[in-house]
Amino acid sequence: MTRLATILDERNLTYTAVATRAHLQPRTVRQLATGETPIDNVAVGTVRRIASALSVPVTAILEPDVPHPGDATLSRVARLSAAIRELMWSGEPVAHASPVDSREADDMATLPADEFFADMPAVDGRRA
Amino acid sequence: MAVGPEVYRAVGESDELSSGDVAFLSLARTRLVGETPPGETYDPMGRIPAYPRPALLPLPHGREVAVDTMFALVVTHSCEIDRQKNLDASADHVDCRLTVAPIVPEPAVHLVGSNGDDQAVNWAAIEANEPVASLFLPPIPDVSMLASGVDALPWPRSFADLRGLVTVSRGMVEADRLFGLAPDYLGTLQRQLARFFTWRDLARHELVEALVGRRVVDAIPLNARGDRLRVALTTDDGSSVTVELRAK
Repeated sequence: MTRLATILDERNLTYTAVATRAHLQPRTVRQLATGETPIDNVAVGTVRRIASALSVPVTAILEPDVPHPGDATLSRVARLSAAIRELMWSGEPVAHASPVDSREADDMATLPADEFFADMPAVDGRRA
Repeated sequence: MAVGPEVYRAVGESDELSSGDVAFLSLARTRLVGETPPGETYDPMGRIPAYPRPALLPLPHGREVAVDTMFALVVTHSCEIDRQKNLDASADHVDCRLTVAPIVPEPAVHLVGSNGDDQAVNWAAIEANEPVASLFLPPIPDVSMLASGVDALPWPRSFADLRGLVTVSRGMVEADRLFGLAPDYLGTLQRQLARFFTWRDLARHELVEALVGRRVVDAIPLNARGDRLRVALTTDDGSSVTVELRAK
């Protein structure tokens, strides 16, 4: 969830209500709130108007700056440290499809790897 | 149960690439515009919310590329990586790509089933590597123990999600590797890959019924346990099912 969406949610505000106050199209506010349009990709004036309509500083609706792979402005260890901090511990948990597709595990799940592959040479031999 | 120090190993910047390397990467998913995951629980734009900072690159003809920036686990077998290197087709060979699985951290998600039901309890199953589509990655109290110079940060409980496999450049993995899997745990990764690509649960009765009248062209014994033997059957129309035979 974007910071803008969080503020709208906390204040129970609609896109239209904010758009009216900011003299913007509701679609613009929606696209920014849902993240469909990254807030870094719009004019500074648009961001200022939304912040003003919400009576918050501009920084309150900007997304935190997160590192990019290969960013040459940071050392490798600084990139990796920032990535762990920003990506592995992100705030609000969101729904994610569970990989567990059955309540009952198959027998193979508990086999040690060497036991699991014990029959593999026979299969490979048949292919050869 | 897998425990952090037994699962991971340190990886130096100049070390050879290996299966089990964990790196900070940009992953691309191509898809039709507007494709959405099933159910109302998920992001209506079809992004995978647990993948941070999704970006969209529009393509012609109703296609798009979603780009996710996150940590991922190399699953390409080390023998294949070495083979490409030995063929002198490594660093600048455009098609020598590595297959990686996105890493989903526990703090970023709450697991849900296909009907939206909460499955937080299923972390226990993931931890035991019961699902075919995940490899559990245990927490690490201090990553700097494995990655010299990196801040002393904890690494949360997480899993590599084999449902989201993508390929990336070898150079990208080399540039931002964090640590790797220890040799013992690589065996578990390989077992999970074998299960993911070949193994499904025992066939439902109607699937077996549908094979009546077909000729079995191949039967591969999968494993035996006690009085039970599981066998993968392939029929002359290319169908395959796994059945369980009992001695008693």
